[in-house]
Amino acid sequence: MNYYFLGRCVLIVPTLLGISFLAFGVAALTPGDPAEEILRRTTDRPPSEAEVAQLRRELGLDRPIPVQYVVWAGRAARGNLGISFATRRPVIGEILHRIPASLQLAIPAAFLALAISIPVGIISAIHRNRLVDQMVRICSLAGASIPSFWLALLLIIFLAVKLSLVPVAGRVGASSVLLPALTLAVTPAAVLARFTRSAMLEILGEDYIRSARAKGLPERLVVGRHALRNALLPVITAFGTSLGHLISGAVVIESIFAWPGFGKLALDSILQRDYPMIQGYVLFTGVIFVALNLIIDLSYTRIDPRIRFSGGFIRDAAR
Amino acid sequence: MRKLRVTLMAGLFLVAFLVSGPAQTIGGPSSPARQELRVGFIDDTYILEGERASLGMFPLNANILESLTSLNSKYEVKPLLAERWEFRPPNTWRFFLRRGVQFHNGQPFTARAVKEMFNRIARRPGGGGIKAGPDSTTIVDDFTVDFTPLVPNIRIPEQLVTWHYHIRAPGSEIGQGRRPIGTGPFRFVQYLRKERIIVERNPSYWGPKAKLERIVFSFFPDSSARRLALEAGNIDFAFEVPRPDVKSLKAKGFKIVTSSVGTYRALYANVRSRAPYDLLADVRLRRAIAHSIDRKKLVTGVLEGLATTDQTMVPPSVLGNFAFLVQGFSYDAAKARALLDEAGWRPGSGGIREKGGRRLKLVLVSGYPVAELHRPVPAFLQAELKEVGIEIEIVERPDIPSYQALINSGEGDLYLEEGNQSDANPGFLPYFLFYTGGDYTVYQRLFGPGQKFDELLAPSLTEVEMSKVRKAVAEAMHEIIDEQAVVIPLVGLYRIYSMKKSVQGFLPHPVYFNVRWDTVSLAD
Repeated sequence: MNYYFLGRCVLIVPTLLGISFLAFGVAALTPGDPAEEILRRTTDRPPSEAEVAQLRRELGLDRPIPVQYVVWAGRAARGNLGISFATRRPVIGEILHRIPASLQLAIPAAFLALAISIPVGIISAIHRNRLVDQMVRICSLAGASIPSFWLALLLIIFLAVKLSLVPVAGRVGASSVLLPALTLAVTPAAVLARFTRSAMLEILGEDYIRSARAKGLPERLVVGRHALRNALLPVITAFGTSLGHLISGAVVIESIFAWPGFGKLALDSILQRDYPMIQGYVLFTGVIFVALNLIIDLSYTRIDPRIRFSGGFIRDAAR
Repeated sequence: MRKLRVTLMAGLFLVAFLVSGPAQTIGGPSSPARQELRVGFIDDTYILEGERASLGMFPLNANILESLTSLNSKYEVKPLLAERWEFRPPNTWRFFLRRGVQFHNGQPFTARAVKEMFNRIARRPGGGGIKAGPDSTTIVDDFTVDFTPLVPNIRIPEQLVTWHYHIRAPGSEIGQGRRPIGTGPFRFVQYLRKERIIVERNPSYWGPKAKLERIVFSFFPDSSARRLALEAGNIDFAFEVPRPDVKSLKAKGFKIVTSSVGTYRALYANVRSRAPYDLLADVRLRRAIAHSIDRKKLVTGVLEGLATTDQTMVPPSVLGNFAFLVQGFSYDAAKARALLDEAGWRPGSGGIREKGGRRLKLVLVSGYPVAELHRPVPAFLQAELKEVGIEIEIVERPDIPSYQALINSGEGDLYLEEGNQSDANPGFLPYFLFYTGGDYTVYQRLFGPGQKFDELLAPSLTEVEMSKVRKAVAEAMHEIIDEQAVVIPLVGLYRIYSMKKSVQGFLPHPVYFNVRWDTVSLAD
């Protein structure tokens, strides 16, 4: 496993390089001049072309895009992600200040999604094609399809305005986590429920399940001990991806609920053409996803002992 | 093993909350007060560092700092930290400062603080909007300051009302966690980045003491959430209420308070670009467009009746007795068609006019400040202009930088913008945008109305007497709107504020950063 782990760590570097270069290129090609935007926001009159040109030189924006990227990558390799154009503060500091707020939503949302989706997926699989299965499938389709902003406003109207159970928005105490976390949890819960159902249906048809039943094991043991564990692999994989999105991609939810998180930081940076911050966001998000994927892969051996790490690959020892 | 796993997961959950301390915080908490107002503002875009730091000032003015002059809701300049001022030819302004004023940290307010403010502006490229130089400011005595801009500038007192010229305690800076220290009726308590800023009454204020003990300004980027927070009772007051929500808020018992007109929405015609964006070089086409738009229908049908049909661009209250010089355009589709016929555009296929094989198709760029703000006005205009045979292609830009890119490239025929008169200088907007040699050269390249406009506007830059300034500006606006139709005003807009009935004494202002809170109180 050590070789596997080391190999994956080595692969992180080209992965992040590729992601960051793509993001750099896309940001640079987006219409709008960051220097002009900075001056427009901060001066009491529109900037002259000479002033814009001067600021572009100061910020290094007059250099070719590949050169800008190389300079940035060199600094990033030394842990320096630069200074935000918009706030004039170090990018790394800005990100680290916002991550905890996003985690405050993402982790409860992730647990909620798991707590809902796994039991619901199991029940749906066990009662295949019956009414409960149909209901679960309809609800999961709806959950995966509902626009998050619409759901957010619905929940606000019902839980915050009509029932006054929680605040509408803002990070004002523990109860303010409930609405945004609930909204965030719906889509991954729906997706994971479908994954769980599919995986369980596949496993429940296996010979060893039939054997377990034939032996007279209680159904709860057949499902809980023998079937579920084998069905978890694809679910865990999907969960890892969902968690990454929850941490870094909750832009709409954070905007609606006035939550000062990482996703809102990305949106503000894009609107302000804050290139260093955009790059920092992309890099950090890349690290989050790579790390989550690695953790998920390493967890496979815990879930399924048949899986071994061999020669840098995951192998199913039973095959 | 199982217990270990469960424990680890619970620990992870806990850590998430433990590590999530408050966002970037300046200052410390204070206990709630009886007269505490909770205000919902739009997004937090304070700049926290550097020369252009704006914490507590812009876009949300928390009344911590003050300028030498202030702007009331009728766009009149009033004394604030300067009791009076006089112009000393050829180019010097002398300010007589208010005595007995203290900063929140106990320092006396004297000429030294004013000089620091002017020197801060002098460090900006070109000396900022007031053209301040490193030697522009002279301290005559502790309460008298002379300011001589680098170039003749008669409009200094009108310009000083904006937040750029707020006066800070000498030696105090904003940034690195430091709090703003001013002379305002409220003093800084706490700031949580992207969450809220809290201020409390300044008991040593030089003027009438504020009625409120404390104000908590919370940031709500989403307008629907802001409105719902008001309905739920999470806030007492909301800025920037969307027009479609006004009726429902009134029905639910909330007060809706509107300011005087201070904002406009208008189309700017690109008169100087090359093909294919050269069609609007023909003034008949521009006038036809202006006559094709039913502004009453726009106000009543699209804007919920919450706008005016003013076509002055500069607010009528700013033009004063000379507002009548700017007439605007009546809705007259027949006249529009006649103008198009005269210009050689004949009805073609699909009802769209043609000339020399070319369809009368114009690109309308919507995006200042953001395209979302203007919807569904572009679609309305598209329908109106189709009636007279003009095809409109709507190009939306989601933010200012991408909109600005289309301005810079000139790839558009009509540009839909919303603008705000933010100081007392009547010539502020026309000079800012269209005057040759003014600040916005790229706008002059596309929309520059030319020499006659410049000649009419020029006296407003040098004339001391305000009535003459207003006349000059009104005549210039008549030229650019009525004669040349380079600017095609659509509507005049006012700010809409919503609040609980218990909120008393609020004076609505057409400019956000001039809103004052010292007159506001909460009824029991």
